[in-house]
Amino acid sequence: MAGANAIEKRLQIAAILIILGLLVEAVCLLWARPLAFLIFVGIGMLLMFAGIVFYLISLVTVGAGRSQ
Amino acid sequence: MEGRTGNARIALPGFSFWLFPMALPTTLLILFIAFSAILIGVFVSRPGATATRGGKITAFLLLFFLPILCATMGLSSELERSKSTAFCLSCHTMEAFGKTLYVDDPAHLAAAHFQNHRVPADNACYTCHTDYAMFGTFMVKLHGLRHVYIYYLTKPPASENIKLYTPFNNRECLHCHAGARSFEEGAVHNADPDLLPAVKSNKISCISSGCHDVVHDVAKLNQVKFWNGAH
Repeated sequence: MAGANAIEKRLQIAAILIILGLLVEAVCLLWARPLAFLIFVGIGMLLMFAGIVFYLISLVTVGAGRSQ
Repeated sequence: MEGRTGNARIALPGFSFWLFPMALPTTLLILFIAFSAILIGVFVSRPGATATRGGKITAFLLLFFLPILCATMGLSSELERSKSTAFCLSCHTMEAFGKTLYVDDPAHLAAAHFQNHRVPADNACYTCHTDYAMFGTFMVKLHGLRHVYIYYLTKPPASENIKLYTPFNNRECLHCHAGARSFEEGAVHNADPDLLPAVKSNKISCISSGCHDVVHDVAKLNQVKFWNGAH
């Protein structure tokens, strides 16, 4: 049960990071300037990448914890 | 004065303009991203949904594949947009160069190419200033990052003091003109039999003095007449 709660908490964090990244990307697509391109890549994609990596790490670490 | 190029009006200093009336693909992409964010939001409000096998698969699709898909589509859209004339001219420093596209004089190389659609009007800057070599687009984008750095973090030079990083390579001209009858059989080009081989081997620049030497004459913009543009 504690393991389930842990992964749920991590999934929430990963989802929030990805949502933030998606929102940044959506705003950048509305704003057609060179700075928007940099924000898109530097912040939007970074947030999404962090979210995805956090999600994958969560799957691996929580799975490993359960097997032990 | 406004220059209409497809679905974008080109920014010209001192004139009314707008940039990028939202293209349908961009609108759809934004809606898709918003929809994805809402779907992912379900896992924030109901993390217990991943308890079942179906929930786990859905979570993997939503938290792995969907963000990658959105990022790829968004990056592709941004890269494509960064090639547009309006994008290049959105920086204040480039406005004078945008004006030179509307000079009413066929001797002005950039204006003649833009006004006669020898280059796609929507991608006018990129078409001539890209690098038609391996990794050329990548190198051009790196230069673009340098432009952004100079524009936002240093004092950008006045428009008339802007120079190319390297001399303009004839390869960029020959990408379109090589093999064209007007180029290969042109009277001036063939007046000297050594000229065309020298141009093709980049020994003599197309924009060298006495040839096509007026490209973006931003220093004399107040002395020229402007074309009103196609409406």
